[in-house]
Amino acid sequence: MAMEAMAGSPEAARGGRRRGEEAAPALRPAKLSRAELYRPPTSEELSRLKETEDLFHSSLLRLQIEELLKEVTLKETKKKKIDAFLCEINSLLNAIPETLETELTDQAWLSKGVKVPFLQVPFNVKGKFRFLPPAELKVVGSYLLGTCIKPEVNVDVAVTMPREIFQDKDNLNQRYHRKRALYLAHIAQHLSKEKLFSSVKFAYMNGNHLKPILLLRPQGKDEKMVTVRLHACPPPDLFKASRFYPNKNNVRTAWFMEQSIPKEGFIEPPTPHYNNSILCDTVLLSHLHFLSNAAADFPGMKDGLALLKVWLNQRQLSKGLGCFSGFLISMLVAYLLVKRKIVKMMSGYQVLRSTLQFLATTDLSETGISLAKDVDASLPILNDFHQVFEVVFVDPSGLVNLCADVTASKYHQVQFEAKRSMEILDDRMVDGFQVLLMTAKPMLRTFDHVFHLKHVSKLQGACKKMELLNELMDRGGNYVATALPFIVSLLTRGLARRALLLAHSLPQVPEWPIDAEPPKHKDVGPLTFGILFVPEFAATVLEKGPQADHPEALDFRTFWGEKSELRRFQDGSICEAVLWEADTVCQKRLIPEQIVRHLLKLHADIPESSICYMGASLESVIRTGKKVPGTGEEAMVSVVCSYDDLSRKLWNLKGLPLTVTAVQGVHPALRYTDVFPPIPMKPIYSFHTRIRTKHLLLPSEEKPCPAYVAPLKIICHMEGSGQWPQDKEAIKRIKAAFHLQLAELLQQQHQLVCRPAVTHTDVYKDGYVFRLQVAYHREPLILKEVVTPEGMLKYQDTEASQQLEMETLHLPYLTSSLHGLQQQHPVFGSTCRLAKRWISAQLLGDNISEECVDLLVAFLFVHPAPFTPPSSPQVGFLRFLDLLATFDWKNNPLIINLNAGLTDADCTEIKSKFLADRSRLPVMFIATPKDRWSSMWTREQPSVQILQRLLVLASESLRALEEQLMDPLNSQDVKMVFRPPLDFYDVLIHLNPNQIPRHLENVDRPVKSFFRGVVKNSTATKILFPVVDYDPVQCYLQELRDAFSDLALFFYDKHGGEVIAVLWKPLSFQPQPFKVSNMKGRMVTTLNNELVCVPNVEAILEDFEVLGEGLVKNVEARTEKWTI
Amino acid sequence: MAPANERVAPAGFAALAVKFGERQRSPHWLLVKEHQVREGADTAHPPRRTLFVLNVPPYCGADSLSRLFARCGHVQSVEVCEKPTPGEKKEKHTSKFFNRKSATGFQVAYVVFRKPAGVQAAKALSQEGPLLISTESHPVKTGISKWIDSYAASVVDPEELRAEVDAYMQDYDKKIAEEEAKAAKEEGIPDEEGWVKVTRKGRKPGLPRTEAANLRVLEKEKQKRARKELLNFYAWQHRETKREHIAQLRKKFEEDKQRIALMRAQRKFRPY
Repeated sequence: MAMEAMAGSPEAARGGRRRGEEAAPALRPAKLSRAELYRPPTSEELSRLKETEDLFHSSLLRLQIEELLKEVTLKETKKKKIDAFLCEINSLLNAIPETLETELTDQAWLSKGVKVPFLQVPFNVKGKFRFLPPAELKVVGSYLLGTCIKPEVNVDVAVTMPREIFQDKDNLNQRYHRKRALYLAHIAQHLSKEKLFSSVKFAYMNGNHLKPILLLRPQGKDEKMVTVRLHACPPPDLFKASRFYPNKNNVRTAWFMEQSIPKEGFIEPPTPHYNNSILCDTVLLSHLHFLSNAAADFPGMKDGLALLKVWLNQRQLSKGLGCFSGFLISMLVAYLLVKRKIVKMMSGYQVLRSTLQFLATTDLSETGISLAKDVDASLPILNDFHQVFEVVFVDPSGLVNLCADVTASKYHQVQFEAKRSMEILDDRMVDGFQVLLMTAKPMLRTFDHVFHLKHVSKLQGACKKMELLNELMDRGGNYVATALPFIVSLLTRGLARRALLLAHSLPQVPEWPIDAEPPKHKDVGPLTFGILFVPEFAATVLEKGPQADHPEALDFRTFWGEKSELRRFQDGSICEAVLWEADTVCQKRLIPEQIVRHLLKLHADIPESSICYMGASLESVIRTGKKVPGTGEEAMVSVVCSYDDLSRKLWNLKGLPLTVTAVQGVHPALRYTDVFPPIPMKPIYSFHTRIRTKHLLLPSEEKPCPAYVAPLKIICHMEGSGQWPQDKEAIKRIKAAFHLQLAELLQQQHQLVCRPAVTHTDVYKDGYVFRLQVAYHREPLILKEVVTPEGMLKYQDTEASQQLEMETLHLPYLTSSLHGLQQQHPVFGSTCRLAKRWISAQLLGDNISEECVDLLVAFLFVHPAPFTPPSSPQVGFLRFLDLLATFDWKNNPLIINLNAGLTDADCTEIKSKFLADRSRLPVMFIATPKDRWSSMWTREQPSVQILQRLLVLASESLRALEEQLMDPLNSQDVKMVFRPPLDFYDVLIHLNPNQIPRHLENVDRPVKSFFRGVVKNSTATKILFPVVDYDPVQCYLQELRDAFSDLALFFYDKHGGEVIAVLWKPLSFQPQPFKVSNMKGRMVTTLNNELVCVPNVEAILEDFEVLGEGLVKNVEARTEKWTI
Repeated sequence: MAPANERVAPAGFAALAVKFGERQRSPHWLLVKEHQVREGADTAHPPRRTLFVLNVPPYCGADSLSRLFARCGHVQSVEVCEKPTPGEKKEKHTSKFFNRKSATGFQVAYVVFRKPAGVQAAKALSQEGPLLISTESHPVKTGISKWIDSYAASVVDPEELRAEVDAYMQDYDKKIAEEEAKAAKEEGIPDEEGWVKVTRKGRKPGLPRTEAANLRVLEKEKQKRARKELLNFYAWQHRETKREHIAQLRKKFEEDKQRIALMRAQRKFRPY
C-alpha cells in the first residue's frame, strides 16, 4: 500500500531531509493529483485511518509521536554494543580478588587511589568487612524493559553481595551502607585499572548520599553512548523485613550523637527514610519481574513510558533527590494497569493521557496508593506510611515507599503540571505535542518569582532552630534534605492564598572521580525556589488573621512574630493582622519577597544575605521616578484618568454642529504599554522663547533642549451626516474646521489651553498634552473609490486609505483590546514595556512597529501553554525573548486569539491560507480575530535581515540573562542585555547630551543631566502652550534617512541614546554604471577606463555633521571595517 | 583624494564641486547639463536656457542655488524636485496649509536663466574651485536652529486657517450646488438617443452601480439555486460525499507528512 510505505520507509524520510537541506526549508500546500486523491481506498488504509481516529488525537500527532520515539529510543546496533560491553564487565567483576577481614573502620587495605564514596560521620562504627566476589550480577531496570531513552542511557546492574560479608545487626547505624560503599570502592579500585573503560566514577543514586553507585563508561567513541551503573545489593532474605517497618528505629541516637552511654528510658525515634533506603536494595529484582510482567504484550507501555519520561525531563522533575524518576513513573503505569485504568490495547499516547489524568486527579500526599495485595495482615498499613512520609506509593512487597524522598511540594508540582497538560491536550487550538513534549520548562521561565538560597550550609542552623534532630539522624546527617520539606511548608503557609504553587529545585550532586573525597551536603550548590502567583491576591498589602480573643490568635502571632499587630477593622472586629509596607505597584509585587525573607529569618535563622531574590531585578530599566522606587504604573493610571475626563468633556461639548459619537485613545500609554509613561509637566517661561501673541513657547537655541512632551493621540469620531461632503479634499477642510472649533469650545467651556492645527488639535490638560484628531467613518471609503471605465464604482485599497483605516479604525480597536487584556493580567503592560525597552536598547526600535511588539507580548498572555500566564514582568520578558528566538516565522503564522474571537476551524483556515500565500506575506505574520489575512502591524517592518538580527540578539540575551539569574553567587549586572554591541556598526554619530530631551531614560541613567525647563504640574490654568513633540534627534534621524536611506541604515535608541549607529548597505557600495536616477550622494569616477558611480563617503560623513549642527558631538568613522 | 582626478563626468555633463562651508574638506559633485526636451514645448523649463542639475545636497535649497548660479547670468527661476519631472508643470492651486510637501534628501533642480549664455557659463564653473552654499553673508541654517525654525513654522494661525477653509468650502458648495442644479435639470429628460439617466436622487433609485452591489446579487442567485438542490438524496451523492471525505483525509495526511519531514529536517524532534 503506497501510503503506508511512504510513511514508514526510511527512503522517504531521508528524501525529505535532503529536500529540506537543499533549499531553505519551507512548507508548501500539498498537491495530489485527482487520480491519487480519489483512488479507491484499500482496507489497510482504512484501518490506519480508523486507528488514528481512535487511538490518537490526529494523524499529525501520531506522526509526531512516532518521530519523537524514533529519536529517543535506542537503536538495535547500539543495543548489541551495549550487550557486549555488559558481558565484559561481568567477567571482570567475577575476577576481582577477595580481601582479608578487617574492622569496618580500618580502611588501610584500600589503595590510596580510591576514597570511600561515603560521608562517614560519625566515623566509628562496629562491624567487620571483607571483599568477596559478587554472588550474582543482574541487569535490572529500564534497559531490559526497553524503556530507557536518550540522551542519558543508563544500564543498571544489581551486584548482589555474598552473604558471608554480613554479620548480625548490620541493619543498625549505617553498617550496611558502609559495607556497601566499601564493596563498591574495592570494585572501583580494580576496574579503574582496566583499559575497557574511559571513566570510572562515583555518583549518588538520585542524590541520596547514603546510596553511592559506580558509573562505568566504555572507551573510545562510544563513551557518550551508555553509562553502566553498578548498584550493590544484599542477598535475598538477609534482613528480616519486620525490622524495617516505617515506625522502627535502626539508627541509635547515642551512636549518632557520639555519646558513650544511651540515656535511660529514652525512646528511640523511628527512622523511616533510613529503613526505606535499605529496603529499596532488597527489592530491585522483584520490581524488575513485576514490571516485565506488566510490559509483556503491551507495546503501548513502552511508548507511553518513553513519552512520560520526556515529559518529566522537560519539566526538570526527573533528576536529583526526591525526583519523580523514570522508575517511579513505570511503577505508576504498572499500578494503573493493575487497577485496570489502563488496558493493554492502548497506544502510547493513551497511556500518557491516562497517567496524566490519574496524576492530575489523585493527591498521593493525602491518599496514598499501594501495589501490595492484601494478604499479610502483619504488614504496615497505608496510614503508617502517611505518618512518616509526605507522599505515599507502596510497592508490591508492601514494605517500600517508592516516593519516600519526594516532598509534598514536588508532588503537587507534578500534579499541577499534569493538570495543566490535560487542559492543553483537550484544547484543540494548541499544538499539544510541541507544547507538552518539545518545550523545556526551566524554573526561570516557569515561575513568576524565583529565589535562591545561596549558602545551603545555613540550613544546618535551620535544622537546629526547627529542632529536627531526629529527622537529621534518619537522613544520615543530610541537613539539606531534612530541612527542605519544613522550609517549603513554612513558606507555603506564609504565602497561603498568594501562591498557586511553590516549588523547589531538587538537590543534585555531580558525579566525582574515585580518587576524590565524596561531596559534602553543602556541595549541592544553591537551592532554587519558584513561586507561581494568584494574580488577584499576590500583591495584597494586608494579611488578616483571626480575632484577637480567638485561640488561633496566638498561633498567628507566633507564626508572624513581631510583624503581627492588633488592628481594628471597618466592621468593628479587632483582629491580628500583618501589614506589609508597599506604596507603588512595583513594591507591592515584591511583598512575597518580604514574606519569604521575614519567615526564613524568623523561623529558620537564615540571614537575608543568604537569600538572593530574583523578582524585579530587570525593572530598573523602566524605572521612572527618582525618589520613590516605582515603575510608572501609577503614572499610567493617572494618564488614563485624565483621558477619561477629557473624553467625557468631549461627549458633552455644546455647540458643535455634529455630535461626537466615540472617543478612542490610540497612544500606547492609553493601553498601558508606553515604555515611559508621560508625566504631568508645566513649562518654565524663562527657559523658552515666548510668543505671547500665539500663547505658546518655543525651544530656545541657547538653552538645552526642553523636556520631551509626548502628544497623547486620541481619535474623535464625529457623527455621520448628509452634511459631510463626499470629496476627499473637502473632507480635509471640514476636519480642519472641526479642529479649530473643538479648540475654541474646549477653551470656552472648560478653560483648557488648546493649539489647533490642520490635522489635529493639541489640548493641554492636567499637565499632559492630548492630540485630538477628528475622524469621519466614510472617509477611508471615499479614499478608496475608483470608477471603472464601465462606470461601476469599485473600492480599492490605496496607501492613503490604508493609513487612515489603520489610524482611525484598527489602532483604536487594538488599543481597547489590549486595554482589556491589561485588566485581566495586571503585568501585561509592564511586560510590554520591558520588551519594548529591550528592543529599543538594541537600537532596533525603529525597525519594528510598537503594535507588533505589544501583540507578541499579548500572545504570551493569551496562549501561555505550557506555562501559566505571567504574573511578573520578569518572567514575561524571559518568555518574550524565548518566543522571539524560537518561533518559526517562516512556516507558521502567529495566531493571537484576542477575546476568543477565533474558532478552531478559523485557525486551520488561517494556517492553510498562510501556507498557500507564504511568499507574498510579510516575514512576520501575526493574525488576530479582526485581522486574519493581512498582518497589518508587520506589513512593512521588520525586514528579513532585521528579523534575523532580532532573533540572534534575543537568543543571546536570553542565554546571558538566564545564566546571570541562575547564578546567585556572582554579582549580577542584568542590564548587560540592555547594552547593545556597537562593534557591529560602520559609523557612530555621537550626540550632545544637552540636545537629547529624553536623556534620563537611558539604560544607564546618567547621574547628572541637564535642566529641561519644566516643573511638576501645578494647578495654574492660564499658561502658555508648552513645546510638544519636539525631539531634535528624531528630526535629525528623519533628515538622515531622507537623504541617505539607499546608502545606509540608521539605528538609534529613542530612549535617551547617546549614539546613532550607521550601517552601510553593502550593495550600494559596489561601483555602478551612471544613471540619472541613481546619483544621490554619489560621485563619478573611472574604474578600468569605465565611468562608474560610487558613494561620496567623505562628503557624506561631513554631511552627517552639517545636518546635525549643534546636536552632533563627533562622527566616528570606523574605516577599518570598510573600504571604498 | 585629489580633486583634479575626480573631475570626470559622464557625456554631456559637467561636474561642479560644491561644499557647505569653508570648514568642510570634501565636496559633493553637482552634475549639470543643458536641459533637453525630446518633443513638445516644456513651458516651465524652456530649452537652451535651462540648466539641469543633479545631486543637489539636502541643505541646498532653491535660494542657495539661485545665489550660486547668479554669477553666470541672471537666474529667472529655480525649481527643486525629487526626480526629473518630464513635461510642463501645470500651475496648481497651492494652499498654505493643505497638501504641503517639503522636499528632503538629495534633489534634482532646473535652473532657468534669462539668457542661454548662463547655461554655458554654469558649465564652465567646473574648472573653478568648489562653490560654497553657506557663506557669512548668506548663512544656511541646519541642525538645531533649523529644527527650531520649522517647529515655529508648524504653528498655524487659527484665523488664517479658518479664512482659507471658509473660502474653499464656499467654492466647493457652489460647485456642488451647480452640479446638483444641472442634474436636477436633466432628471427624467431623455438625451439625443433617447436614454434616461437614473440617479439615486430620482423617484426610482434602482441599484447603485458598485462592485459590492453586483456581488450581492450574484450571491443571492447562488443561494436561491442551492436551496432548490437536494442533498444526499441520490445514491451517487452519498458516494460522492464519502469519496470527498477520504480525499480530504488523504490530503491532510499528505500535508502532515510534509510537515513532519520539514520538522525532521530542522531537527525539531530532539527534545533536548
